[in-house]
Amino acid sequence: MKVKLSLIFSMVVLASMALAQTWDGADDLPTNPLACGMSSGGGEVAMLDYNGGMVSGGMSMAGEDIVLIDVPKLVGIGYFAATTAGQQKAAEQLGNVTVTTDAPTEANIDDQIAVIENYIASGNINGILFAANDPVAIAPVLRSALEKGIHVVGYDANSEPDAREWFVNQAEFNGIAKAMIDSLVAEKGEDAGFGIVTSTFTTPNQARWIAEMQAYQESCYPDMTWLETVEAQEDAVLSFNQANTLMNKYGEDLHGILGMTSVATPSSADAVTQAGLCGEVAVVGLATPNAMKPYVDDGCVESVVLWNPVDLGYAATYVMRAIVDGDLNPGDTSVMAGDLGELQVVNGSEILLGAPFIFNADNINDFDF
Amino acid sequence: MTPSLKQSQLQPNKLSFLIVLPILLAIAVLLTYQFAPFVNQPELGATTISKLTETRSNNEFKLSTNGFILIPIAAFITLFLGLWTLTNTQLNRAASILTALSGVLILEYFVVFWMKYSDSGGDYLSAMAIGFWTLLALAITMILQVFIPRVVVAKEFQLRSLVANQESAIILALILLVVVVGLINPRFLATRNILDILQGNAYIAVAAIGMTMVIVTGNIDISIASLVGLLAVISGRLAVADAPILVAWLVPLFVGAGAGAVIGFFVAYLRVPSIVVTLGFLSILKGILIIWTNGQRVTDIPPAFYLAQMKPLGIPMPIIFMVVLTIGAALWMRYSGIGRSFYAYGGNAEAARLSGFSEKRILMQVFILNGVFVGIASVLYASQLRIIQATPPPGLELFVITAVVVGGVSILGGKGTVIGAMLAAILLNTIRSGMIFVNISPFWIQAVQGILILVTVLIDLIRRKRQLS
Amino acid sequence: MNSNTIDPIQPNPTKSANFGKRLRSILFSQEGILFIILMIVMAVLSQLNENFLTSSNLLNQGRLMSEVGLVALPMTFIIITAGIDLSVGSILGLSAIVLGILWKNVGLPLELAIVLCLVIGSLAGLVNGLFIVKLDVPPLIMTLATLALYRGLAQGVSQARSVTGYPEWFYIFGQGRIFGIPTQLWLFIFGTIISIIILRRTTLGRYLYAIGHNPVGAKFSGLPVSRVLLTIYAYSGFMAALAAVIFVSRVTTTRSDMGTGLELDVIAAVVLGGTSIFGGKGSILGTLIGLILIQLLKNGLALSGVTSDATIIVIGTVLILAILINNFVQSRREG
Repeated sequence: MKVKLSLIFSMVVLASMALAQTWDGADDLPTNPLACGMSSGGGEVAMLDYNGGMVSGGMSMAGEDIVLIDVPKLVGIGYFAATTAGQQKAAEQLGNVTVTTDAPTEANIDDQIAVIENYIASGNINGILFAANDPVAIAPVLRSALEKGIHVVGYDANSEPDAREWFVNQAEFNGIAKAMIDSLVAEKGEDAGFGIVTSTFTTPNQARWIAEMQAYQESCYPDMTWLETVEAQEDAVLSFNQANTLMNKYGEDLHGILGMTSVATPSSADAVTQAGLCGEVAVVGLATPNAMKPYVDDGCVESVVLWNPVDLGYAATYVMRAIVDGDLNPGDTSVMAGDLGELQVVNGSEILLGAPFIFNADNINDFDF
Repeated sequence: MTPSLKQSQLQPNKLSFLIVLPILLAIAVLLTYQFAPFVNQPELGATTISKLTETRSNNEFKLSTNGFILIPIAAFITLFLGLWTLTNTQLNRAASILTALSGVLILEYFVVFWMKYSDSGGDYLSAMAIGFWTLLALAITMILQVFIPRVVVAKEFQLRSLVANQESAIILALILLVVVVGLINPRFLATRNILDILQGNAYIAVAAIGMTMVIVTGNIDISIASLVGLLAVISGRLAVADAPILVAWLVPLFVGAGAGAVIGFFVAYLRVPSIVVTLGFLSILKGILIIWTNGQRVTDIPPAFYLAQMKPLGIPMPIIFMVVLTIGAALWMRYSGIGRSFYAYGGNAEAARLSGFSEKRILMQVFILNGVFVGIASVLYASQLRIIQATPPPGLELFVITAVVVGGVSILGGKGTVIGAMLAAILLNTIRSGMIFVNISPFWIQAVQGILILVTVLIDLIRRKRQLS
Repeated sequence: MNSNTIDPIQPNPTKSANFGKRLRSILFSQEGILFIILMIVMAVLSQLNENFLTSSNLLNQGRLMSEVGLVALPMTFIIITAGIDLSVGSILGLSAIVLGILWKNVGLPLELAIVLCLVIGSLAGLVNGLFIVKLDVPPLIMTLATLALYRGLAQGVSQARSVTGYPEWFYIFGQGRIFGIPTQLWLFIFGTIISIIILRRTTLGRYLYAIGHNPVGAKFSGLPVSRVLLTIYAYSGFMAALAAVIFVSRVTTTRSDMGTGLELDVIAAVVLGGTSIFGGKGSILGTLIGLILIQLLKNGLALSGVTSDATIIVIGTVLILAILINNFVQSRREG
């Protein structure tokens, strides 16, 4: 009987699922954990040869007005509104740069490619700033931009190195990972058990951070217990629910929740607050200060790890200007970026913004993004 | 199905047997537990069992597992029997309510008695849990008493008669799930977790009320995620701007109704299919939200605004909203003239028209009401956390439609209740949470949801065939 | 070019009809109105940016459009039968993952993996069809279920890992050109022609309209309803898998979240093209125009400096307005 057959089919599928285990959410790429200890993060400078792409042809635009298009992962979220603000600030200071931000309304690899294609076709841009939804998927369109003489600089989320010229790295993955784990250890000790709330397992940056955290924790704090990573899209209430589930499932085994996005972290903090477990369960996470102020101010969250996204956008714009003006060439070891001063070149073709910044009750109200 | 005792009539003495049976079963379960404490066997329980009895300063987890594992099982057994009597025309409603009530009360007595005199250490929270499960079981029984049409004339004891309608089928699935997950990891049954599960999808269940009305009339609305995002920000910004809190709570309802009226106008008067209108609105509303807010989340909201964080009598507000609104809407749809016109129109638009219902007015009413419920849902969504994200909740429309469809609302119109939709929303969240509790990889969550929809549809199919034959 | 309908109310132009009448019936058909809208939109957009109406831009847009377009062809068939297929985006994701896993993890030759990917896609579509036909599950519910199921399988099978590093020759599907025209555009044109022929010249096409008009009647009058529906749902799965191959080849990577939300783009194009969601009415030509209209609007607005957030508002409005205008004109014609 067909109905019974379909039911059996469903059972088989269900049974096959039961074989799976809890998931850590890390990717497969090699990790590079930093040295242990409480010193502030920040990577050692890896001296590699330049491995970025080369823009082909095109006349020199040194000193001339340039028009840039900024394509973050998506528009309509606070984080990329902050990077945009930084770009506008840089454009204003430089005076000879115009930046327009345009990106899909959802973090969708296909739509992002279409947006970039459109601007290449429009023929009136000199440079692209981007934050990739997928490092590989975005590469072909960026390569075609380079071929057409358009300069390409990445920030926040990298592409394959040869598909862009430079990448402004907000902080090394291992630096973020170290800052996160160290902050948690500072609050909860070296034998804390912790869970993670992330966006989706397919988001490359998050998977990378988790992998680095895992490596760092295993080498430096082997007594910590890695409980579980849960997925919560970019959904505020779902993140709240998932954080609650973690608390209910692990009870007193759970000493900390690590939030991997600007949505997951405040929602987790809210879950902890509403459960009355402030102090019992620490929340450490990546988030913008504005989102975290209520929780830091009432003492439920002690430290928020992030770089300054305004500076990130600012630096990306300055780097682009430097490339166009010929001030940043393959083989250089540093670049001047306006108010930020001299920034280091790492990993061949990346410009490091700095060590991750840790916001706490003392300084969080000094920031507005 | 194996043939069971064929009897066209139930003897009176069978009735008393029905009342005694739950008690006997409950005693059996209790005894089984006493002599075979399966919950405390590490190989059956989760690793955290041994720690469950350890204390934690502001303790929510101190509860002894014993009561938790037993009470729901016992309550559900009683509930089952109550349900069974429902499908039996020989028993009147009073008898079956009585069955459930007496069964549950006696059980509770036994459990409390046992907890007090055994050294397993029951506390006031356990008592609360007992009360909770009792109320839940009773509420479900009584709701079903009102809503189950007594079309099934059961002449014999049939397990399948328990799935006589979608609502009871979902309850069955819920019970099964709660018991299985609870056995593997008893923490799942902690009051807090149960409340969290019920609360988690409450705003979705509220939105599902409106969607049920839309789908019952043979339409669909895929724009609600964008609308929820927009209304939540409107609500939050009003609160931040020092508008009276009541205004901040009520304005989204009116704006939602306004948006619903526009959609309804296109559908009813301009005859544009609802899927097209709402597909358009999905983009338009989202674009407006992004341009308006530029992704800036709403912060510094006055604490009085946090409707969803209130807990009158210890029950989170979203749960109260969900249950009250759902029951209210279900009664209204079943007994009011307007509500019935929705079903009539959805069942057969032509016939409804001929019998004097105004098609245009029905469609306007449906979409305006849908807007109001989306408004309520967005206030619950907005006030759940201390900040409001200025993005539409991703995939909300699919989730709400899934809840409605799993809840037994026919996409062809004319069939299904909001209670089914609410239960389905709860079921979906229970699955999500349950999967984490039993360590099933979260990758499969969507696959499970898909299978769930299929299974409910198949059950519906079996049911229809049975009813036909 | 009268609308492809067997709606008896609509006048069916015969050879004896005079030229004026015929012209009017072309102009005021669903496709005619859309075509006029398209022309107006193109005229306006080409004024706004000189790079809009260039062959390189248009060809490139054709490349970007092909994946949605390929899936929109069977979707038109399905919607004509008053069905719907919400699972196409998930089938695309699942097929892409199957392609990647079979090639990289199982180690099959890529050619074979492509074939199997297409087979899996068709099977996924066939499963939709089987439930819809054999068990009478409404298409919306069935494909809503598989929308979640197939995406879940894609995620479960891939464990959120992406597959990259395809050989160079594979990129011909998504990035290559044949005679100066993007490869996938050839595939799309070929698919479109086939679909037009099926819909207008074959009995299968007539059956589709008949089923959409009156499914019960179609069954009782002895049409092979089951076989027809199975065919088109499998066709839909096949096309989604083909789109997956092209997509993977274009973006050079495979991820389990590929094609998320594709169904809405596809359905928007189809209903914009005048295919009635209630069945029985519609044409491939309309879908084609709807598709081009959306794609060029996105492109042209972006070229003119309109950002995506404003663009989606425009597209949403155009979608509703186009149907509105069409309704208005059709009711004037009929009344």
